[in-house]
Amino acid sequence: MNGVLHELSVHPLKTLLEVLREDLRLTGTKESCGLGNCGACTVLVDGKPILSCLTLMAEVQDRDILTVEGLVQGDKLHPIQEAFVEHGAIQCGFCTAGFIMAGKALLDKNPNPSEDEVRKAIDGHMCRCTGYGKIVEAILAVPSKR
Amino acid sequence: MEEYSLLGKRVPRIDGKAKASGQAKYASDLEKPGMLWGRTKRSPYPHARILNMDCSKAERLPGVKAIVTSKDPEFARFTWGFGLPGCPKDERPLAVDKVLFVGEPVAAVAAIDEEIAQEAVDLIDVEYEELPAVTDFERARDEGAPQLHEGFKNNVSYTFTMDYGDVEKAFRESDHIREDTFKTFRTRHGFIEPHCALAYWDDASGVLTLEASKQSPYFTYRLIAACFRLPLHKMRLIQPYIGGGFGGKNDCFALDYHACLLAKKTGKPVKIAYSLEESYSCCWRKHTMTIKMKTGVKKDGTLMGIDCHLLADGGAFSAIGPLTMYLSGAFMTIPYKLPNIRHEAVRVFTNYVTSVAMQGHGTDHTRHAAELQLDMIAEDLGIDPVDIRLRNAIPNSPYKTVNGIELATCGLTETIERAAEEIGWKEKKNEKKSGTIRRGVGFGCAGFQTGARLASRDASSATLRIHEDGTVSLNTGAQDAGQGSDTLMCQIVAEELGISVKEVQLNRIDTAHTPIDLCTAGSRVTFLAGHATRNAVLDVKRQLQEFGGKMWEANPEDIVFKDHQVYVEGSPDKGVPYRDFIRMACYGDEPMELLGRGYQAFNLPKVDIAHGSGKPCHNCSFATVAAEVEVDAETGKVKVIKTVASQDYGKVLNLLALEGQSDQQVSHAIGMALSEDIELKDGRILNPTLEKFRMPRASDVPMNITIPVETNDPYGPYGAKEGSESIQTAATPAIINAIHNATGVWIQELPATPDKILAALKAKRQGKVQVSLS
Repeated sequence: MNGVLHELSVHPLKTLLEVLREDLRLTGTKESCGLGNCGACTVLVDGKPILSCLTLMAEVQDRDILTVEGLVQGDKLHPIQEAFVEHGAIQCGFCTAGFIMAGKALLDKNPNPSEDEVRKAIDGHMCRCTGYGKIVEAILAVPSKR
Repeated sequence: MEEYSLLGKRVPRIDGKAKASGQAKYASDLEKPGMLWGRTKRSPYPHARILNMDCSKAERLPGVKAIVTSKDPEFARFTWGFGLPGCPKDERPLAVDKVLFVGEPVAAVAAIDEEIAQEAVDLIDVEYEELPAVTDFERARDEGAPQLHEGFKNNVSYTFTMDYGDVEKAFRESDHIREDTFKTFRTRHGFIEPHCALAYWDDASGVLTLEASKQSPYFTYRLIAACFRLPLHKMRLIQPYIGGGFGGKNDCFALDYHACLLAKKTGKPVKIAYSLEESYSCCWRKHTMTIKMKTGVKKDGTLMGIDCHLLADGGAFSAIGPLTMYLSGAFMTIPYKLPNIRHEAVRVFTNYVTSVAMQGHGTDHTRHAAELQLDMIAEDLGIDPVDIRLRNAIPNSPYKTVNGIELATCGLTETIERAAEEIGWKEKKNEKKSGTIRRGVGFGCAGFQTGARLASRDASSATLRIHEDGTVSLNTGAQDAGQGSDTLMCQIVAEELGISVKEVQLNRIDTAHTPIDLCTAGSRVTFLAGHATRNAVLDVKRQLQEFGGKMWEANPEDIVFKDHQVYVEGSPDKGVPYRDFIRMACYGDEPMELLGRGYQAFNLPKVDIAHGSGKPCHNCSFATVAAEVEVDAETGKVKVIKTVASQDYGKVLNLLALEGQSDQQVSHAIGMALSEDIELKDGRILNPTLEKFRMPRASDVPMNITIPVETNDPYGPYGAKEGSESIQTAATPAIINAIHNATGVWIQELPATPDKILAALKAKRQGKVQVSLS
């Protein structure tokens, strides 16, 4: 988890989201719809974005999990987090972690995506505040920050 | 014009880092040692009498710590509401003898975990006598219809009428009259943070603390204190970050009361977290209206008069709904010159969740109808839709509407011209429309009140303290629900002191420490809290200027704070660094305590909501939205491919934040116009999930272009106006007018779903008079 090995004894039917928020107190990952429709709970498992509200702990044993907290190095934000701040891609912030993780997964696979590719990568995510434009701009701006 | 260092600049949000790194705490992220979890027992019926409730099985379940019902003396007599004339306080934390909608709370449980709390809820046995329900608002007034509330004959919750000028005479003098019916908005606020509350009592001090997702925390602070008969210093509301509101988290909700009472009974902290589905199916929504509008014009398109009659689905309770009726009429007189207006708005009770304020509050329903009808009239008369808007636009000079709204500035004309230019109207208006994919462009205009004149204590306050190193702690009572006002308040302080935004710390609302504020509603935060914050920083700046004046034997007013330097006007080279100056003030012979206090109210005469007269706001923003759509004539699907939103912001204070607000409003409008469709059937909401209730996704929304216009309004802080509601109000009609421009059909009932568009296209092909209303 975020580069640290955790040994936890949890019920195998507990979801990854529950373990993150309740057992590890990593509350940066949010629960919104709880049904896999909003993307707010997205984390990376072995580099791939998954919905932690629909993922059972039994499925992620011995896997690499990255959450929004794990992107921060000391006091320094990851370039994609910085881009979200600078481009106004955050308003209420409740959906933000999910979008950042989805954006990171896309950029790791495709460092110079087109606008359409960005929109496709975040289409499973719901944001009611930004109208998406600035989120798309932020993700597109990351390569130039690296 | 004055050059600002920070105002008008693209300043990123002050809470950006906390939110981007996952460190910002929302209500659902909070925990307390020994905390219990609460769940709610809800009515399965839209309308029923509660005959008996048996909690004994639930009480015996291990892990259950307390159960409350409306029999509890704390709740038995307590009701709340908005309290305006005509707005009875008819909501209650738990249903007393009758339930009025599916999902109305009847009991609440606290247990050691959420699962046990839910199990206990399932074990509560409630015996109901089902009653016939009002499930169609258009039939709520029918003879023999079931009655929801005693004393409200025919289920009429509120009737608002206003009549200015002489509408009948206006129609006699008109060259062309149209009468059409429109059906608006079947939507809800759609925030993605579900409601959540955490309550705990401190035995030693007797203080009740509530940490909850509140858009306007001071409403809840007063209401909870009233419910538990607490003096206000024993009631403390601490505001964590909030995940959006849009009007949907303004007031108290049942869970706030339940958490407080369960915490009192158990002596433990109690947290209640609704699911999103619970928040969507059991809490609030926007009104749906049927609007009959009759408009008369001269041959050249000059508006003569409007006669409007509407019926609104109010749901189970009054809430703020009567004010919605007032707003649906009072702002019909902007953004165009309209000398004669008659308006009747009737709100009815139905057995569904309550309809309340939502972004665009009331104003947007009738504006949507009027903007569609204006295009219909333009087409009838062969006038360009841009020209008819320019002809009627309120001018940018002092103007008073027929119902008494006074405007010092109005940039509408410029917004129309700039939006039309950017969308390419001249080139596109004569494009031929044929084939499967048809493109069209549409326009909508709107005006929106800034700093709504509300009843109650219509003021904002701010206090601040300059620390001895020059950094600042700022307290306001204004809530940032995501729109960015916290950043703006810090910009104002930093601007006046010549420092950076990072040197200002804004403390989030804690009613024990922050000054009182009315609410985050009616587009008032920048306006009133902005003025108050400015007054607070100017208060402390005056104290510092006096100190500097003495030190430099200069006129205090000539002491300048700029770029971290303090100096006498004209002698920047003889100044001292800001930090040194503050240190000198704090450590001189008479050490200063640098406190600033600011307050703002305008003492406008109270609005007469019985007649729609009075001055309901301080200034109005004006916007034009141009939308370009592609309509697939085979599938009926509409895609919005370009939007331009031009708004008169008075003065741009933070363009990054305003662009964000503009994008957000266009996105909401796309959903409200095309897809958001709460399906109500037999007293039930059939689609309370994100899967079935389709709000726009990234693939549904184009890159929106925002074009600011400035009019420097004399009443706004630094000349500013609101930035969060007029674009949405203008955008829904722009989209529907664009569909007409593309296809020739009018979609008069929202949302414009593919089935409605296909039916209208078919009717048009068959040469039928189009009937697009169900």
